[in-house]
Amino acid sequence: MSDIMLYHWEPNANSGKPMLTLVEKGVPFDSHYIDLLAFDQHKPDYLAINPMGTIPAMVHGGRLLNESTAIMEYVEEAFDGPALMPPDPVDRWRVRWWMKFFDQWLGPSLSMLGWNVGIGPKVRERDPEELKAAIDRIPLPERRIAWRKAIYGLFSEEELAESGRRIRIGIDMVEKVLGERPWLACGSYSLADINAFNSAYFLPISQGEHCNDARTPNIMRWLRAVYARPAVKATWAMGRTAMADRIRIFEGEEVADRW
Amino acid sequence: MVMTLYHGEPTGPSLTALAALFESGLEAELRPIDLAMAERHASGIPLNLEAQYSVEGEGPVLVVDGEALCDSLFIGCYLDDAAPGSGLRPSDPYRRWEMMAWCRWIIERLAPGVAALANLAWTTPRLATLGDAAFARMIAPIEAQDLRERWAATRAGVLSDEHRAASVARIHEATAKVEDRLAGRDWLMGDFSLADLESYAWIAPMRDLLPEAFASKPRLAVWLERVAGRPSVQRALAQARTPEPAHGFAPGPEINRWG
Repeated sequence: MSDIMLYHWEPNANSGKPMLTLVEKGVPFDSHYIDLLAFDQHKPDYLAINPMGTIPAMVHGGRLLNESTAIMEYVEEAFDGPALMPPDPVDRWRVRWWMKFFDQWLGPSLSMLGWNVGIGPKVRERDPEELKAAIDRIPLPERRIAWRKAIYGLFSEEELAESGRRIRIGIDMVEKVLGERPWLACGSYSLADINAFNSAYFLPISQGEHCNDARTPNIMRWLRAVYARPAVKATWAMGRTAMADRIRIFEGEEVADRW
Repeated sequence: MVMTLYHGEPTGPSLTALAALFESGLEAELRPIDLAMAERHASGIPLNLEAQYSVEGEGPVLVVDGEALCDSLFIGCYLDDAAPGSGLRPSDPYRRWEMMAWCRWIIERLAPGVAALANLAWTTPRLATLGDAAFARMIAPIEAQDLRERWAATRAGVLSDEHRAASVARIHEATAKVEDRLAGRDWLMGDFSLADLESYAWIAPMRDLLPEAFASKPRLAVWLERVAGRPSVQRALAQARTPEPAHGFAPGPEINRWG
């Protein structure tokens, strides 16, 4: 029993960010798995905890925290354990910039493609009336729009092409900076690596043509270096679906892009 | 540490960066540039990858020992890291989380709406005076394609009905949020913080375009005066070089592609 409760889905994208941060810091927490595909995040029990209806959320000492990247910075500041922010103020600025870049520029493009090929078709197998009611229960208007688009496959060819373009540029940008320094934002492993890894670990599968040993050796080196950390293995062991198995590519296994 | 702040008129992100600099007490050379004429890309600023892909768009740039820092919220965090005790961020980790979560809403949800309406009203007429060839030359050095596209849309005065309505709704939502938040407090986080600067900088210019969003909100009205009265904000406003500095916008953050 801990005084920290973390409500999360799979170790992936937003949910994985605070999970891996807490594990890296060595902070024990009570894990509450919220099934995104069953819309657990919009059910009354969960809305009573996080009225925004977003995952992840954390409760520490009775106080709610949401917004995954903001939670990461909180965990870094509120607990002892290995430092995940560099001491130099310019390096710290770079950590925040790259987290923002993943959160708002590259991440949405990656998730648009992921929802289009993965989450959307999976959820569409459900009863249409149940789906409609589930969408209507979503508290944030922008999340309602996002879910509607994902569920009914409403992304236009143009939007998907733009996401593809951004992903290719993003891969080139990350490859470039990882050719200049060992970690994404500075000379040491930081919150930026944790944030980015959660959106990038499956790139060699989903974007294998653009992200591979020949074309992006620095990204591959970095992904393997992050994967080598014990905290990553402990975090991914908390996954319950085939999504989390994608990480086995770093064990040399052949893995299909599955959901 | 040698710092140069390249800034536009004291409104939007440039106002935040200027006032945060003055709050920090740190010394920096001030270099005013005309952001709406793309001078950010023509002033010998050592733009790095991060500044070229700034999520904020055409915002201020703080050059620290040759490295270009962008995105006003993170410039503010940098200044607070470089001048501990400046009061730009609360020292308690939970309060700090609250501030970052608040500011995240401002920069991701409010700022794109403000930028869209402000540019249409005030930047489009300026860009319309340029010939095609002159405009093409002006934006040619801009690296990010999506930013170049926002420039072209701004010059053409293009804003979809859907984006216009969403932008107006965001501003109403923001003024209501501030009004609610100020119940029983003088500043958004209790004590003065970067959240007051970031929120003021995006909200205040909308008084000229959407006065109805400010009607019957007494706490908001007093807070706008309170923020404007801070010596740091007074000094920032004194950097103005045009008769209507609040209108000095340039293509800013994009409207969220997911809705």
